[in-house]
Amino acid sequence: MRNKRTFLIIVTAILAVYYLLCAVYLNKLGYYNEEALFFIEKAKIVFGGVGNRLKVMGLTSPILPFYGILAFTSISYDLAPLLASSFGMAGLFYLISSSIVNKERNAYFFIVLLTFVFHPGILYAACAGKSIYMVLIFFYLFFYNILKFYRSNTTFHVSIASICLVTLIFCDYRFIWLSIFFIPLVLSITINSLNLSEQESIFRLFLSFNNPSLRRKLINKTFALYIIIFILPIVCILFYKLLNLTHAEDMNYFIESPYATWSIITDKLNYDLAATAVNYKLPDASLMVSAKILIFCPLILVAIFLFKENTYQILTLLTPFAFIEFIRIKYDKIFVTFEYYLLFLVLAFLCILIKAPSVRYTRTLTIIFGVLALSQLYSGYYYLKNSQVIDEKNFYSALFERKLNLKQADNQDIASYINSLPAGAEVLMDDAIAYPIAAFVNAQDFKKLVLPYQDNYLQTVEAPDKYADYILVATRQNIVFTYSQLSDKYPAILKSINSGISLVNVYETNDWVLYRIR
Amino acid sequence: MSISIRELLINDGFISAADKQRIEKMAGDLNQSFIKVALNFGFISRKNYERSLVNAGYVIEEVREQEVDEDVLSKVELKFINDYVGLPLRFEDGKIVAIMADPTDQFFLDYLKATFDCEPKIIVASDLEVTWMSHKLTGEKYVKSAVYELLHQDPKSSAWITFTSPQLTFVFIFLAVFSVCLVLDFKNTSIVFNVIISTFFLLAITFKLFLALVGSRFELHQAVTNNEVRDVVDEELPYYTIHLPVYREGNLIKKLIWNLQSLDYPRERLDVKLLIEDDDDETLTAVKNLDFPGVFEVIVVPFHMPKTKPKACNYGLHFSRGKYLTIYDAEDIPDTDQLKKVVTLFDKLPLNFICVQCSLNYFNRNENFLTRMFTLEYSYWFDYMLPGLDTLDIPIPLGGTSNHFKMEGLIDLGGWDPFNVTEDADLGVRAYDKGYKVAIVNSTTYEEANNEPFNWVRQRSRWIKGYMQTYLVHMRNPLELYKKLGLRGFLGFNFFVGATPLTFLAYPLLLGLFICYLVFDLSTIRTIFPDWVLFISIFNLMIGNILMIYINMMAVFKRRFYELILFAIANPLYWLLHSIAAYKGLYQLIVNPFYWEKTNHGLSKINNPTNVVK
Repeated sequence: MRNKRTFLIIVTAILAVYYLLCAVYLNKLGYYNEEALFFIEKAKIVFGGVGNRLKVMGLTSPILPFYGILAFTSISYDLAPLLASSFGMAGLFYLISSSIVNKERNAYFFIVLLTFVFHPGILYAACAGKSIYMVLIFFYLFFYNILKFYRSNTTFHVSIASICLVTLIFCDYRFIWLSIFFIPLVLSITINSLNLSEQESIFRLFLSFNNPSLRRKLINKTFALYIIIFILPIVCILFYKLLNLTHAEDMNYFIESPYATWSIITDKLNYDLAATAVNYKLPDASLMVSAKILIFCPLILVAIFLFKENTYQILTLLTPFAFIEFIRIKYDKIFVTFEYYLLFLVLAFLCILIKAPSVRYTRTLTIIFGVLALSQLYSGYYYLKNSQVIDEKNFYSALFERKLNLKQADNQDIASYINSLPAGAEVLMDDAIAYPIAAFVNAQDFKKLVLPYQDNYLQTVEAPDKYADYILVATRQNIVFTYSQLSDKYPAILKSINSGISLVNVYETNDWVLYRIR
Repeated sequence: MSISIRELLINDGFISAADKQRIEKMAGDLNQSFIKVALNFGFISRKNYERSLVNAGYVIEEVREQEVDEDVLSKVELKFINDYVGLPLRFEDGKIVAIMADPTDQFFLDYLKATFDCEPKIIVASDLEVTWMSHKLTGEKYVKSAVYELLHQDPKSSAWITFTSPQLTFVFIFLAVFSVCLVLDFKNTSIVFNVIISTFFLLAITFKLFLALVGSRFELHQAVTNNEVRDVVDEELPYYTIHLPVYREGNLIKKLIWNLQSLDYPRERLDVKLLIEDDDDETLTAVKNLDFPGVFEVIVVPFHMPKTKPKACNYGLHFSRGKYLTIYDAEDIPDTDQLKKVVTLFDKLPLNFICVQCSLNYFNRNENFLTRMFTLEYSYWFDYMLPGLDTLDIPIPLGGTSNHFKMEGLIDLGGWDPFNVTEDADLGVRAYDKGYKVAIVNSTTYEEANNEPFNWVRQRSRWIKGYMQTYLVHMRNPLELYKKLGLRGFLGFNFFVGATPLTFLAYPLLLGLFICYLVFDLSTIRTIFPDWVLFISIFNLMIGNILMIYINMMAVFKRRFYELILFAIANPLYWLLHSIAAYKGLYQLIVNPFYWEKTNHGLSKINNPTNVVK
């Protein structure tokens, strides 16, 4: 057993190094994504900024992936997201594989390893520096504990599931909607846990409702189970919203402000660009998403088949489908990203691993498992290639076509120029859209930036000639220029207010102009 | 009057011939008098015994005012006279005057003749009065031993001295340096202080959550299964001593007897000691007035300060003969199979396990708000925290009752510390200190939750004071403690025993500060709470409270007390009550460290059904 564990640790370590090497290689090819850059910039504010950093520390969202990156910033700000996602995905591999290794399922282990090494979606989660790794880990743990709870009926598993639900929500707020699909399930679970001779769920329900003692028991237990599962997420969200209200005067600051989360502008932009393109693309219609999921991850069908005799466990497996469909309707102007497809890959592995001990280890099952896993490698490749999300396309180009991505090169140049400014120079910029530039500014030069989290930001915007030396302005070519006050209109407004102000263009790229104030 | 008492009892129909034989056999085995066994093992009630004596023409006299001769008393051994329920008092008219419960006990009469070389003159008295007189007049040696044994044997472990000189020096130097730093640089000193407090709180919360999760992981684990209990052979069971320290709890005696009789353990193998203080006439009278048989022996604890439960238990230890020993409160309802479970577990455990702790919970949990909160707290403590400590091999602060000891291990530890008001918690740590281990068993004792706020504060202030005492005693030499307990044990002790009172003391201050910060928008507070510190503080307050509330919910969910789940939300209020008790405890620690805040029991109006385990 110890040998197996050591072997697994070694494989996990190798996998982490493999992910990291891939990530660094892609990074060198110029692949960056908004999420990682956003978090790098916020991390630099936390450790090197001047001013009210509390808001950035506490309200940057999603908060847990942000802290995941903070943990690695002592090594390198640029590598921190890559380290977090590489190690995170390797950790997920360890979680999944440890249960297989203990059960003498070598073929299963090999299939899981193959998927983790070659699946494009897994590589995207591991090498892009995004928070998908954390979502997958907590999603896995949530369902793992829920399924364990069905079997053991212990408080431990249900409470750990609830804690995982909280962490999942704080990795991606949209998972709050997963809760609503568990509401009817809880009743089903309670009915099943009552000590009745009747086996059929519907008759158990009938019996329970028609007996006062059983009815009281059913109501009490159902209510208690609701509390145990949902009180923690609800209260945590409530408190977090209160903190947003007290520290940012807006309860939804963390999900609606571009200063708190990267996705507000990126998602909107992504949709707008796709919808207004010559060959415009719209998000998939309802039910099409579920169908696409089944094609993307056919293993989930095997998982559902394995649970065919347990009604409420099948219902549990169907909740993520309902969740995705709901997300599709609720956020109709946002594409369903790769992250949500990957959930099913993880869920399928989980179900097969949970059921593996009680299922005969047949050659047929192994072959089906292997063939479907192989087909998933292709479907993963196909889906990534045809993704409507810009960042996923960029990743595909960098990974499979090794295309140099120069999108961030201009930003790096401007950041280099800011780095070279004399100490004490103050550069006014709006990190709602300029966070990629701020992310490239050296940590030791970060104090040169005047950003919205600082108390003196507004007065600097009002009178930059008094409080700043430089202004960074988005040009009209910048696709996000409408999301900031510091756009090309700003210099004109300044001059109309104060004719004595003189702005000298000291550095210019396609998207940005850096003015020196005289 | 030539007929013996045992014949008299048969003639009066109070015992059968078979009973007589059984009592005689037990008396022979135990080296006790016939009447002692008959009265203390539930064969006959005291009322009936007195009836028989009176019908036979005996006069039962009040004996407390009898004259005594110190020379006579110096010739008797308390353990012997306690077993034979007789006491020689003085010489009178060439005879030795003695009080006896059974004036026909030939063995004791012969003893009197042989020892004092004269004919005895017997005064018939109630066995309880004889016991009272015996312990009161000849128990000094034992009561001194009960008080000072640990102090002599292991002075470093005794709470006789609350604050040692190095501890006081440390405290005063710390306060002096802190004050000087505040004067010199108020801002930075406050920041450093806040950082330390916030980090400490964060670690304490994380530690408690971790413990609870570890504990909850094993909620299905059964240390002893029902099948194992079923396989126990009654004839092979060892003697089991049960200590029942009571003080002014006459109203609970009937309940107590009922609960004891429900225990699934051979009566003749039980050694139940009801430990009554010598000034507690209320309880003694209640025992006298019982009109049905009881299965316990009364031990009267002579007066000696400090008047604490551990002193009473130490005293009782001298008269105990069990291989194992446990303590129950008068109102406790243990699971009926608890003793058998413990014996089975001890048989399975390695030899260095000297104590088994059972879970405690409350039978009157739905009585009022306080009892509900108390139940939440105990469920969390005994079902999650202690198993968590047990799993991680961290010293377990034992609960007040239902801790079962190996007698020889307990004696080796020097018994309980009579100067410590949470002697149980102290003993748990002391056991680890000496290389012994404590285990947890899947058995519950139901107690009466305190349902009255002032009574609750009194009880809790004693517990918190005791934790402070225990912490001070064991931290006299932190390095030595670290070497003995290891890093895990040392940290566990600090976070569990040391942090508990500190948390309650700091809680209202920090809560007040935070409320002021929010309500009055005290932006100046930010100068002494830099961003990082404020962040951790808010995290502690929010997440700490949420998690502690949630763990309480988990615990009652596990116990299936579903109706209590929402009450966990009221925990922040309940903790404020703890804080009041903590400040009271701190005050008492300084001015009156050994004072035992008596908790009144028997206030509940809820009936306590026996917890029969099928």
